Order: sequence, then structure tokens, then C-alpha cells
Amino acid sequence: MTLAVAATVGALFALGTFLLLRDDLVKVVWGLAIISQAANVYLIGMGGIVEGTSETVPVLATHHAPFPETVDPVVQALVLTAIVISFGMTAFALTLSYRAYQENESINVTEWKQ
Amino acid sequence: MTSWIAIAPVLVAIVTGTVALLVRNWPRLQRAIAVSGTVVYAAVVGYLSWRVVFAADAGGILYQLGGLEAPFGIVLVADELSAFMLAITAIVAVYAVVFSVQFIDEQNQRVYYYPLFQFLLLGATGATLTGDLFNLFVWFEVMLMASYVFVAFYGNAQHTAAAVRYVVLNIVGSALMLLGIGGLYATTGTLNMADMAVQLSAPGAVTEPVVGLSALVFVTFSLKAGLAPFQFWVPSAYRAAPLPIVAVFAGATKKVGIYAIIRLYFTVFGDADVSATVPAVAGDTALAFLAPALLLMGLASILVGGFGAVSRDSLEELLAYSSIGQIGFIAVAVGIAAATTAGELRHLGIFAALIFALHHAVSKGLLFLSTGVIQDIAGTTKLSELGGLGDRSPVFASVFLVGGLSLVGIPPLAGFFGKLFVFDAATRQFAAATGDTTATAAAVLTLGVLFLGAVLTILYATRAWIETFWGSQSEAIRAGVVHDGQIAVLATLALVVLAIGVGFEPVYQFADAASDAALDTDGYIEIVGLGGETG
Repeated sequence: MTLAVAATVGALFALGTFLLLRDDLVKVVWGLAIISQAANVYLIGMGGIVEGTSETVPVLATHHAPFPETVDPVVQALVLTAIVISFGMTAFALTLSYRAYQENESINVTEWKQ
Repeated sequence: MTSWIAIAPVLVAIVTGTVALLVRNWPRLQRAIAVSGTVVYAAVVGYLSWRVVFAADAGGILYQLGGLEAPFGIVLVADELSAFMLAITAIVAVYAVVFSVQFIDEQNQRVYYYPLFQFLLLGATGATLTGDLFNLFVWFEVMLMASYVFVAFYGNAQHTAAAVRYVVLNIVGSALMLLGIGGLYATTGTLNMADMAVQLSAPGAVTEPVVGLSALVFVTFSLKAGLAPFQFWVPSAYRAAPLPIVAVFAGATKKVGIYAIIRLYFTVFGDADVSATVPAVAGDTALAFLAPALLLMGLASILVGGFGAVSRDSLEELLAYSSIGQIGFIAVAVGIAAATTAGELRHLGIFAALIFALHHAVSKGLLFLSTGVIQDIAGTTKLSELGGLGDRSPVFASVFLVGGLSLVGIPPLAGFFGKLFVFDAATRQFAAATGDTTATAAAVLTLGVLFLGAVLTILYATRAWIETFWGSQSEAIRAGVVHDGQIAVLATLALVVLAIGVGFEPVYQFADAASDAALDTDGYIEIVGLGGETG
């Protein structure tokens, strides 16, 4: 499981970095969104994905083993916050991109005169 | 000591911002609320500073959100260092908002200007007060969100282009910060900064990853502070944003980056035994790894900023580059503090950085707002189209002169003490390095660049002064209207710059207490209420 998370994080960062370096502003915004998500998946990995016990998850005390592998609840809270923030950022970046496209008359950032 | 007063500045900003949003259809009411809200904010910060630093039973104040104790709940910690940064922010904010009322035209004021201003203030305040690493990230985002909108505020080609670059850069920075925070959580098992300090100094703690992870967070902080090589967003963003906001950017939000570096490295990582094998750097604390990087970045900033400022042709850009250089002075002082192991010099380094930060906030704030006045009079800030303003308004000329001289470091203005202590720290570093060739070379290089930076400051400050105020009146200056109200506001700010220099004693006391607090890890843990458990 850890390996899968690590591979996903790597792939997402690679894709995000690739898109971030494009000329097309829309692709750059895609890159930002993907990098933000990569950071979120990384946070999940950092919390560790382990089998729950009644020590860490009190509600499991009344249930029977085997328990599924779960993610640390603290990082879940962090990721939830980070998702909301990156959602807002992406929405803002898209709006800003549209206005920048209108004003600079090109979606290609290398053609901007400013 | 737990008290609601630690959260009061945050509450004032959030309430003022929200109310200003609700009354947006009544511009006059909105203006009155924004200004009085900021004044209340300053008053609350003043009271908080008094309680933390100057009162008989002075000491750090804790506020537990939701009454949950650290390390489980999020805490706000108002210690001397936080109070000092808040005081800087409050001074700049009050002047910026009062100046905005007269400077930003009616139509633009109605476009959510005041609510955004309050949210910018809110972000900076929260980031300074929080005692939780992830919460720091969230406050940074609050601050950034408002600053994005301000960079794009005028919405033309130049502004949107600057905003796009600024946004892209900062979102990447935020992702890096998340990586650092996630890693630190995995290493120490906590997000509370005081608890992190406890865990790191606990015997047998695994600390190697901290070196790399803190570097990720450091990159984000220096991006916010605009240190070279992360300075390239500064000129275009400063040129695009409304000038009163630029004063807040330069005075307050950049300083939050410096504050975060000091807080995290000196207070949280300070004592911990962190060893890792890094080529060319020897050391067993996080500070030893920070020192060379921060010193080099600070020196590079001084050079980039100084040479950049000398060669610009508009006043705004000149000041933007100057800001990069001046932040370099602060970073060098912090770097000196990180490099040494002697307690006294470390204290002096932090102290110098704080005094310089205060000086830069008020002096540069004054100069940026003055640029606003010039923009209003002449309709341009291009140096080639200015000249002879001294004849038009001698009072304004003397206000600008105070700002310029303070930047140069002429006594008895605020800038004199800033420069004095930075050079003091650098010469003491040189004195302490006797016998060690590498250390001596580094100290000589530091002193040399600081000196060059000071000369460049004199050069560009003089150039700005001569080309704007001397000579025959240019077309733009002759035709322009001088707004006495704006100048009156700035005159009082010039008095503040003077007052900080003349009545330096309480400022000294405040900054001294703040640098004590920055270095006192145990004291910080004590305030948060984690003392004596595991540490």
C-alpha cells in the first residue's frame, strides 16, 4: 500500500511539473491543481496506512478483528482543509486566467508583452 | 496564562472584514467601519503588547481554541516576539487604511477593497499568533488569497500578468510547505510547535529528516519574504498592487516570512540535536544548516536589490528593488544569529533583525505611501517625468526626505538603529572568528557586502530624491494638484519614524524581550502548557 501511495505521489508530481512548464495558461492551472493533489496524497502517506486497533480507534473496541487498514485521522483532517483551500485557489486561478487572457489577448504566457 | 486577549486581534480583523463586506452598499459607512476597525485593531495590539511585555506581571499569553489543550487542540500563543511583529503590522495597517480612504478612487474602493484589506491583515495576524504548524499554513493561505486579489486589483494587462505569475509561484510554494509539514508530522508525530520542540529534544528521537523537511518549509518562508533567489515576483507584484497595499506587503506580509523563519528555526528547532550528513556543511543543529543558506541568500538579496534599485527608472520599481535589498539586511542578521553558537551574539543577531524589520516597515511604508502622493500629483512615477516637486510642496519634500534619510540610516531616525545593530552583529561575528580562516573569510565577505549594500542605498535614495524634488518643475508636476490631506497623514508617519529613533528606549526594551522570547524554547513550551511532561 505504501508503495502504491509513493508511486502515485511521484506520478502526480511528475505530471503536475510537466504541465506547469507549458506555455498554455490553462495547462499551467491544471498543473497547479495536480500538484496540490499530489501534496494531499503525500500527506495521506505521511500519516501512515496501518491496520486500526482499539488503541488508536476507540470505536473498534466493540468490533471484531480483522480490521481494514486505515489512515491516521489527523492527516485526513489536514487533507480535508488542504482540499478546500486548493479548490478555492483553482477556482480563483481559472477566473484570473480568463481575465488575463482577455487583457493580454493570448492564452500563451510567452506571448504576453508585460 | 490563558486569556482571550491573545485571540482579540484576530477577532477584530475578522469582524471588521465581515461587517465591511455586509455594508458594501453604503460606501461611507464601509469606509468608517474599515478605518475604525483598524484603529481598534491597533489599540488591541497595543494592549496585548502591554500585557505581554510592559505590564508588572508581563508574560506570554495562551489561547486554546475550543478549550482544547495542546498538543491536541490548536493554540494561539502571544509571546513577546509575536507581539513585536503584531505591533509592526498594526502601525503599517493604520496608515495604509487611512491613506487608502484618500488615495483609492471611489469606484475602486467599492470593489471589496476594505474587506480584502481586513482579510490580508487577518492572515498576517493569525500567522504571527498561531502555535500550530498546519494552522500557520492555513493563515498563510488566508493572507495570500487576499494578496492575490490585490495584485490583480486594477485588472489590466500588466496587473493580471503579474498576478498570474504571483499566484502560480505561491501555489507551488504552498504545496512545498505542505510537503514539509506532512514530513515533520510523520517525524515528530505532532503539529503543535511547542510539542514539536519537546519531541525533537526527547532522548532517542529520530531527527535526521528534519534537516531536509525544514528546508522545504524554509523555501516557502523565503518565497514570502522575497529573498533572492525567490525575489523575482516582487517588482512586478509591487508595481501592480495599489500603493497603500504595497506598503502593507513590504511592511507586514514580508515580515511574516521572516517571523516564521525565526519562530520555527530558533524557537522550535533551536535546541534540538539534529545531525545529518550534508556535503560542505558541518553541524548538529538545524540552525547550523540554516546559517550558510540564509547568509548567502541575504547577501545575494542585498546585491540584487541594491543594483536593481540603482538602475530602475520608476519610483515604484526602485522602492520594490530596495525592499528586496533591505530584506537581505534582515536575513543576514538572522543568518549571523544562526551561524554562531554564542548566546550573546545570537541574541544580538535576532535583535538587529527585529529592529531593522520595524525600521523597514515604517520607513518603506512612508516611502511607498509618498509614491502614492506623487502618483496622484503627477499621474506617473517615472523618474524622468518628475522633478521640481520640492518647490510645489516643501512640506511633502521634507516628509519624503525623512523616509529617504531613515532608509540610508542617518541618526536620529529609525533606520540608524536598524543599520547600527546589523553592522554591530557583523563586526562581532568578525571579532569572534579570529584564528579560523573560513569563518574570517565569511565574516569579511558579509561585512563587505553589507557595506556595499549601504552605499547602494545612499546612491538610490539620493537619486530618487534629486530626480523627484530638485530641478525645474516638469510638465506633470506643474499641472498636478497637491492633496494636503494625504500629506498631513504622511507627516504624522514621518514623526513616527523620528519618534522611534529619538525615543528608542521602549523600542529597545520591546525588541530585547522579543529576541529573548525567540530564543527561549523552554519558555515557549511553558506558555503552551507542555512544560515538565516529557521535556
